[in-house]
Amino acid sequence: MNRAIRHIALLTAKDLRIEARGRQTIGLVTVLAILIVVVLALGLAPAPGASGLTATAILWVAYLFGGVLIFEKTMAVERYDEALAGLLLAPIDRGAIFAAKLIANLVLMFTLALVVTPVAVVLFQFDLSASPGGFVVVMMLSMIGYAAIGTLFAALTSSTRLAGGLLAMLVFPVTLTIILASTRVLYNLFEHQQPVGGSGLAILIAFDVIFLVASWLVFELVLEA
Amino acid sequence: MNSTAINLIPRVYWTLTAFLFAAVGAMVIFWTPREATMGDVQKIFYVHLPLAIHTFLACFVVFVASVMYVLQRRLWWDDLAGAAAKVAVLFASLVLLTGMVWGRSAWGHWWTWSPRLTFSLILWLLYVVYLMIRPSIESPQKRAMISAVYGVIAFLDVPLVYLSTKLLPDIHPESISLAPPMKMTLLAWFVPMTLLAAGLLIARFRLNRRRSVLERGAEEDLEDDRTEDAAYAGPHLTPAGEIA
Amino acid sequence: MTGQLRIQTDEAGGDAREVRQRVPGAPSPLRLAPQVEAAACSPAVRSLGVHKVIDDRPVLRDLTFDLAPGSYAALLGANGAGKTTLLRMLSTLTLPSRGRIEIFGRCTRKQGALIRAGIGLIGHQSMLYRDLSALENLLFFGRLHDIPEPGVRAMDLLEFVGLVDRANDPVKTFSRGMVQRVSIARALLHEPRLLLADEPFAGLDAPSVAAVERLLEQLNTEGMAVLLANHDVRQSLRLARTVLVLRRGRLVLDCPAGQLSAEDVLGEIDKR
Repeated sequence: MNRAIRHIALLTAKDLRIEARGRQTIGLVTVLAILIVVVLALGLAPAPGASGLTATAILWVAYLFGGVLIFEKTMAVERYDEALAGLLLAPIDRGAIFAAKLIANLVLMFTLALVVTPVAVVLFQFDLSASPGGFVVVMMLSMIGYAAIGTLFAALTSSTRLAGGLLAMLVFPVTLTIILASTRVLYNLFEHQQPVGGSGLAILIAFDVIFLVASWLVFELVLEA
Repeated sequence: MNSTAINLIPRVYWTLTAFLFAAVGAMVIFWTPREATMGDVQKIFYVHLPLAIHTFLACFVVFVASVMYVLQRRLWWDDLAGAAAKVAVLFASLVLLTGMVWGRSAWGHWWTWSPRLTFSLILWLLYVVYLMIRPSIESPQKRAMISAVYGVIAFLDVPLVYLSTKLLPDIHPESISLAPPMKMTLLAWFVPMTLLAAGLLIARFRLNRRRSVLERGAEEDLEDDRTEDAAYAGPHLTPAGEIA
Repeated sequence: MTGQLRIQTDEAGGDAREVRQRVPGAPSPLRLAPQVEAAACSPAVRSLGVHKVIDDRPVLRDLTFDLAPGSYAALLGANGAGKTTLLRMLSTLTLPSRGRIEIFGRCTRKQGALIRAGIGLIGHQSMLYRDLSALENLLFFGRLHDIPEPGVRAMDLLEFVGLVDRANDPVKTFSRGMVQRVSIARALLHEPRLLLADEPFAGLDAPSVAAVERLLEQLNTEGMAVLLANHDVRQSLRLARTVLVLRRGRLVLDCPAGQLSAEDVLGEIDKR
């Protein structure tokens, strides 16, 4: 167990170090996400005080596309010069490779959200003051499930020629569940002042648990080849 | 003699299926009572429900075949999963269409974001994507692996989609009390519908199988030493290897 | 650039000896794992009726051969003959479709993790992170392999391959020859007993080729088994003691290098 945690820490640190050195992914992704928010802002000509529901819808579009780019880029690091083969030749658990990649992806996604959410809040004059904590919790839970699926499929598609578009195609339909559940929870939170909880939250948590376990198991089998 | 008999089987099968469809169609038109509030449009329900159930069954076949592929890595399973996904998408499309027709007459709109319609739409999307990504991946083994993982994940997602659509405000009929002739007709519809689903699945599967054997001498050819050199059509190494 | 390479090339052999004297008690880059003697009776590689099918295409067919511990074998064959696939199977990255591969008596199907601890692979690609420095790469992989004192080991190996002065530069600034030497250092981190090298000379200039040749030879003298996939027949005959030739996925030649002329081997490779 200790060994596994050490390996995960080692692998995650390596990913974040590579990212910190180039800052290619996070820069690219943040600008893309801001662009998406601006496009939607111009297209929707926002009314002041847009509801929490609009906020999440717009943020989701930004997070989804940003996420796909993050998953793809962090996996490309392993494919370049076949570094992944080096990992597979090391006596480490394949689950550790998955866990580390997932953590690195989540760190990048949270960083992205940290920049993009305030931008959207300012541009759209969102009022998140009713329950900023609830908003953060719901979004974080959603991102965990999304990143689990994304990490798994990124590992699969990175060896094909058409990685990017294919990854988005594979990940988006499965993610519709999270978007539906999280937007409903936030709708109730901001429109009806209901506290975060109930079946919406339960679905988000169930999604996270099911797909964390499934992705971890499948990742191991798939990399075994 | 023997081979002509085997060739006859599909013809007999499809004739029987068509005949049964005609029979249950007649039941709907001539025998079942007109529903009080909905009128004749309610009769779409006899088609709708068996279609929906067979959609789930087809998705389940995709799931099982996908799991088996991941465990055994035999393209046989991938061909089965692909065939089942085709059936699932066809049936899901029909479920969506019949549901929309029904909704149009019940609520006056072709589309409402009711839980069931949303659920059908997401389900349809999930498996349409499955079919669409397959041709875009060239290597048969990578295609099979990506499809299989997607087939597993998509199926695990189905109950979650169902539960999350429940969060939407509902106007779909929860349960309809059925008169005995209605029940009979509904049950009768399952027979030709099952024949149709199974027939399509088998036909599609055999086509897939033939294709993968034709296109590149399939795994089994290796067993036969004489065909080995014929099956080997030049170097074919995947540069990225098969790690994924 | 070439001048610099030459200097390091000439000193490569001397460096290794120096290292052992300079750091008393530290593991020498060439020190072999203690299990060598214990496993000496089982062959380094044993392939029994191995078939490999990729994308429904037979790539390797019925390969049966042994390699003794400490041997130096060259694996020859045209492009697409199956050399890379064979090396990937020997390194447990992929499993045979049929048949059995044993590395030092362990089956790749069941004991992959144990085998991986005893083999080093030099692939077509460097298997390095280009944004990290040479030292960072070696430290990272060393820690993954749980080797004691990865820092000392990494510096020793960089000295061995003659790249100590570039230790802190990112790998992406290296020439092909330098990358290849870091790649060799990476493969040696965990003191493997069998080194699998897939076209290690591809894309190298003459001084780098000489340097890599010398490194491999030196490792082999110290008792490491080397399997070298190569396309240069004359070079292979000069370096290796055993020659294996693959033609369209079949092993068509397995004999000592001394008995062969380059023409014989070329004839076997090209035979219809």
